[in-house]
Amino acid sequence: MKHTIQQIFRSGKFVVGFAIFAVLFLIVLIYPLIITDSPLAIIAQGTFFEPGTYVSVFDSIGAPKYSLDLPHADAKRIANRLSAEGREAMRDWLVGAGVVQDDLDIEDTVQLIALWESHFDSTLSIPGMTNAKRNYYIRLDTSLKGLLSTDATIIAEENADTGALEVTKTIAPNDYVNINEVANVRFLPLGTDNFGRDVLTELITAAGVSLQIGFVAGTIATAIGLTLGLLAGYIGGVVDDIIMFFTNLFTVIPSMVLLILISFSIGQDKRGATTIAAVIGFTSWYWTTRAVRAQVISLRNRDHVNLSKLSGHSIAYIIFADILPYIASYVVMAMILQISSGILAEAGLSILGLGPRTTEVPTLGLMMNWAMIYQAHILGKWWAYLPVLITIALITFSMNLMNTGLDQVFNPALRE
Amino acid sequence: MKRKSLWWLLSSLIILSVLLSACGGTAPAADEPAEPADAASLPREETLYFNGQQWGPVVGWNPYSSNNNNAMAISQGDNARVTMFETPYLYNMLDGNMYPLLADGDFEWNAARTEITFKIKEAAKWSDGTPVTAEDVAYTWATHVKYNTPTGAGNMAYIEDIAAVDAQTVVIKAKLDDAGKTVNPLAVQAYVSSNYVIQKAWTQALEERVSEDATAFLADTAEDVVYSGPYHKFFTDDTKVVLVRDDNYWGKDASMWGQLPAPKYLAHTIFKDNAAGSVALAQGEVDVSQQFNSNIQLLWESYGLPISTYLPEPPYGIGASLPTAFYNLESHGLDQIAVRKAIAIAVDYPTIIANAMTNQSATFDQVPRSLMNPTDGEQALYNHDAVADLQWAGNDIEGAKKLLDDAGIVDTDGDGWREFEGEKLSYVATCPNGWSDWQAAIEVVAAAGKEIGIDITTNYPEWSVYQTVVTKSDAPLPEGYDIFMMWSAGAGPTMPWGRIRNLISSEWVGMASNWNGNWGQYSNPRVDELIQMIPGETDPAKLKEMYTELVEIYLTDIPSFTLMYRPQSFHTVNETVWTNFPHQGDGTNPPVPPLDCTDGWGIACLYNISLVSQ
Repeated sequence: MKHTIQQIFRSGKFVVGFAIFAVLFLIVLIYPLIITDSPLAIIAQGTFFEPGTYVSVFDSIGAPKYSLDLPHADAKRIANRLSAEGREAMRDWLVGAGVVQDDLDIEDTVQLIALWESHFDSTLSIPGMTNAKRNYYIRLDTSLKGLLSTDATIIAEENADTGALEVTKTIAPNDYVNINEVANVRFLPLGTDNFGRDVLTELITAAGVSLQIGFVAGTIATAIGLTLGLLAGYIGGVVDDIIMFFTNLFTVIPSMVLLILISFSIGQDKRGATTIAAVIGFTSWYWTTRAVRAQVISLRNRDHVNLSKLSGHSIAYIIFADILPYIASYVVMAMILQISSGILAEAGLSILGLGPRTTEVPTLGLMMNWAMIYQAHILGKWWAYLPVLITIALITFSMNLMNTGLDQVFNPALRE
Repeated sequence: MKRKSLWWLLSSLIILSVLLSACGGTAPAADEPAEPADAASLPREETLYFNGQQWGPVVGWNPYSSNNNNAMAISQGDNARVTMFETPYLYNMLDGNMYPLLADGDFEWNAARTEITFKIKEAAKWSDGTPVTAEDVAYTWATHVKYNTPTGAGNMAYIEDIAAVDAQTVVIKAKLDDAGKTVNPLAVQAYVSSNYVIQKAWTQALEERVSEDATAFLADTAEDVVYSGPYHKFFTDDTKVVLVRDDNYWGKDASMWGQLPAPKYLAHTIFKDNAAGSVALAQGEVDVSQQFNSNIQLLWESYGLPISTYLPEPPYGIGASLPTAFYNLESHGLDQIAVRKAIAIAVDYPTIIANAMTNQSATFDQVPRSLMNPTDGEQALYNHDAVADLQWAGNDIEGAKKLLDDAGIVDTDGDGWREFEGEKLSYVATCPNGWSDWQAAIEVVAAAGKEIGIDITTNYPEWSVYQTVVTKSDAPLPEGYDIFMMWSAGAGPTMPWGRIRNLISSEWVGMASNWNGNWGQYSNPRVDELIQMIPGETDPAKLKEMYTELVEIYLTDIPSFTLMYRPQSFHTVNETVWTNFPHQGDGTNPPVPPLDCTDGWGIACLYNISLVSQ
């Protein structure tokens, strides 16, 4: 046993696959211990917040102020709100309104904004201007308000008695806060999804659930496949005919079609994660059966099996003691493949809206499904679906690598 | 040798024909622009493209039938679609007025308010050149009654008869109650803007063809139908529907529009789903979009596309209907007002509006909940101060908990969920599968339940199942439909009365096929009484009083609760090819409503739009 494990870990492919899988598995185990938020808690009001660090504006105002005079601070502020494209659009409007000529220097921000502020009129009808363009200019105009101002921003509070505003604080352009001193800061490495949930927390929980689904589905499929394969291969005869009849039946019907039909007929209210896992398991056992049967047939006429028969051992004993150990390595490899295809099958089902129910647990497939429904792929909100895709790919890739690695060790034909 | 030359001849002929046919496609036609041979080559600059109206192939063109699945041409109702068939008047949801189309001038009630009289325009003509007459209007009504069409069945209780006094003058006689008063003046009045006028001669021809068999009459696809509107069938299959302009359309007469509508073709590609439609809109293949495009503002803010909505800022459209969550009043515990109210006030509405609707709805802070839609006209109809204490903005978890505690509905067995009469409060919240904004909203409702100790799970049956279950009001709702979402009526000439009646009138309870409303089967005699009284009331002060009382009862009993406001049409336009679509402050007078350029007074849009390139 020790020797076998040593051999396995000498295979480069297995080690890489195992490392990836172990890292994913550890993250799934450890992350929920650190971040204890519910993965389905809606934290954002709005959809698809970009990845980044969110700092409470309210708390920043109360946090200690530091004055920093950094070079280019003004230029950065202006560049952040007025892009090159915005400058060109302003020139186009000013030219269209007949205020200036084409050769206006748009890099001269002060002049440009002065011209803009004195002439822009959203009601002015410029030939060829669409409503969408007019809306654009109105938004641009709003965003430029106070851009060049160096005055402090005033924070005022309403006096409860008089209703008048009283200045409580002023914020100068060179005031800074230390982010460590702001009470509420939330780092969202993968932003939020369409429900306003933290994608990273959801993703890690979902990966865990998907692994569970894969494991349950893989175990069921392998258990059925192994049992039927052993029986069909060793006993043969009518038993073999009957088992192979059903196996062939399942082989010719694409399992995805079966899965879709069964999931649909179960009805959404009864589709929990375990149910889906079981359905996947019960529809994907057939190729394990065929493979195990083939191996058993080649084993059953070996000398040691015949000796065992002559010694009067029972069928059960022969199968467990003389046949199973010879195909055990193969079964482990088959199970790894079954797990990874189970995860893919759940993702496939959920994308079609036939996966587990939404409210209870997130799964990788459900996350993809909702990202698609809310058109994340069209709107360029990559963080809602790309990390999910990568996770699915990593899990199945690592398992397939482990499988290939094991194959190299156990398959005499591939042994170097 | 001979054989070889024949071979040469043949092959050169083939090559020549291939070359010729290749040229044929691109060769410039004669002076006049040629009529496109098929719908695949519509000239872009003469075609207005739509999405979100037509799903699945067209069934027929029969204006008497309600099974045409022909959204571009046939849709009767509060804001009737007047591209192919026309109504006497056009309703304008922005100012609440009716503007004459086939009719000449305003309609008039007689002094006793029992009859409406209006005239038909002299210029109005059918597509076969014959004039539209009062006789056509009368015969249309008689046919609706004779074959018991949905229009006939829906109005028979209010309209006694429609008669032609002379060729031009129509009189609608209202049904009277025992006291000799009109049963429902609102419904009578709404008839003239909601229902098409159909040609008598064609109707008679159809009757003859089907030997007056009612089933065959409604099932006829009516490919030969005579129409009065500016467009008619050009092409349909399962990928698109195209209407083409009738250049002899009577409306170019100075007494109506004075011109033809700008686009020669109205085309609607049949998309697989919203996502496919959104892509087409973003790429400029769709000019007018009537579908829910989530985060629509990103198309102009992030991508700089020439796309806009009626309002430039959230909620982007004018809210007209109130998508509502109904309670099954027979579910265990939901017969308790405390439970209904607790769930309703605990729901996080700002999240529904910001996340599920991606801000395409006014918030309940902006427009406090009532039975009215957010339009100014309806908002003015009730006394805001009188019901202010009853209105809730949501997210009131503590208030909800207290309400339940006070009602003695507490967690007695310590499992974290409250019990009522010893049984755990456990509900299923549901809406149709694939209706993304509703599904996301229902998820938020379920989340609220967990906060206050009521177990709410979600379930999304297919629409085909859902609609049969929900509209069957002659039996209690089955398990799995404790809280369920449905729509309400939008803007129209009978609103808000019609919407309120649909939402809470008990007349729908017991209907085998109830497409009207009150699906939770609520019943309150005072509500029914008020709904009966409102149509006949003309004193604005009294009306306001009655509407206020209805709002008060609704917000006290909470048989259902509104989750969001929704525009009549999403009306998103792409100005790549066409421009001058209706938008807020577009200077039109009367204002053209954002109804996809096809519905009610919204059709005026087709006469205002122009090409960007010009």
